[in-house]
Amino acid sequence: MKFTLKIWRQEGPHEPGRFVTYEAHEVSPGMSFLEMLDGVNQRLLGKGEEPVAFEQDCREGICGSCSLVINGIPHGPDQGITTCQLYMRRFCDGADITIEPWRAKAFPILKDLVVDRRGLDRIMQAGGYISVNTGGAVDGNVLLIGKDQAEAAMDAASCIGCGACVAACKNASAMLFVAAKVSHMATLPQGRPERERRVSAMLEAMDREGFGSCSNQYECEAVCPKHISARFIANLNHEYLRAGIVESGRPSEPESPHAESS
Amino acid sequence: MIRLFSHFQSSAGKKMVIALTGLGLVVFVVFHMLGNLQLFQGAHALNRYAAFLRDMPILLWTARIGLLCMAVFHIGLAVQLSVRNRRARPVGYLIHRYRQASIASRTMAISGMTLLVFLGFHLLHLTAGVIDPAFSDHLDAEGHRDVYGKVVHAFQNPFMVIIYLAGQVGLGLHLTHAISSSVQTMGFEHAGLSRLLKAFGPVIGLIVVLGNVAIVLAVFLRIVR
Repeated sequence: MKFTLKIWRQEGPHEPGRFVTYEAHEVSPGMSFLEMLDGVNQRLLGKGEEPVAFEQDCREGICGSCSLVINGIPHGPDQGITTCQLYMRRFCDGADITIEPWRAKAFPILKDLVVDRRGLDRIMQAGGYISVNTGGAVDGNVLLIGKDQAEAAMDAASCIGCGACVAACKNASAMLFVAAKVSHMATLPQGRPERERRVSAMLEAMDREGFGSCSNQYECEAVCPKHISARFIANLNHEYLRAGIVESGRPSEPESPHAESS
Repeated sequence: MIRLFSHFQSSAGKKMVIALTGLGLVVFVVFHMLGNLQLFQGAHALNRYAAFLRDMPILLWTARIGLLCMAVFHIGLAVQLSVRNRRARPVGYLIHRYRQASIASRTMAISGMTLLVFLGFHLLHLTAGVIDPAFSDHLDAEGHRDVYGKVVHAFQNPFMVIIYLAGQVGLGLHLTHAISSSVQTMGFEHAGLSRLLKAFGPVIGLIVVLGNVAIVLAVFLRIVR
């Protein structure tokens, strides 16, 4: 198979970027999208040119590193998969493919297709954890959790933090990411004691990082490689409203332990 | 209480204020449409309804000021968040393809602005009587203001019909996304009710638009004279 690739090239964070067209030859239909790019890079290296920088790690859809907008859709045309799980047989032979990085103010481009997603980490630092030491794995049935709750928590916890939701959102909002993390922990007993502080701190951190707000278009849900439902966003809003009411009745605390580390 | 207020300073909190004020305005348009349907009961019923509303100035002006406040918060915060949202992606995509966003959700800003312009026109036209002063001081046989006559006079004019129908398109589009979206923003979610909640917006929007369009077209087609 042959493809014409239009790839965003940018030398560094502050350099101007542009699209450069490359030809991908001898592509097998069984190759993954990243393997196809590896081939292109081999060719570039052979010619002594700078290879295209893109992020990748596990190449099995669990690490959340790969982050390409392919023909206008984060992670490409298929649903429920990451870029590394996309195969070239999905495209017509000779097709033109446009490859762009995630675009958001909160995700500055480092080089070519690699963006800085530490904004999501800083949201997690703001409250995406539980402060108590839970020790080792507990014996079965010591801590009873209903099946519905366990499944809802697991659905939310399957978020791999790739940022496709931000890339797909017209407002570059990280609401689905925050919703998944907040819902995951608010559903389980271990996360309950800090649920009010957590949701407020994480949403404040999201605003601080420069992500947009939610317009309820659910584009995030459609591109999420882990099929995280937008109903978790309703759950996040519920948690936030609840936190506002619960916290307003509490005496003010000195220093929040969830203050973002600088 | 101060903390609850500070909660509404975040983007998620502002969205909640937009959703709540929007739902308040939805309640108004529904009752506005229902009240106006009394046109089909004849001049007597509609004029008496108008007189009934005007007979309670305190209630009327409380409602008007309340609606104005809701509209100001709704529009002000929506503009503020839209500007912020635009800034969240300074460099756009070369190609951007929507996967499931509805037409209504993508045109909220346009339909909202259409509605605002239409609202201004509507208030100047039928409420204040600036655009078309005919029938404004006219009294009917019982000595009530002749709202019926004014409405019938207005919608016999094809230009007015076009403007009002365009306003209804904006209203329908806006409500289609707005109502279900507000429910989500207020954090109400239920696995079993999700379809019902999603249908809420389009159904209420359609009912309001159909009711309003029925009034305009009934007059224009001389079904009501």
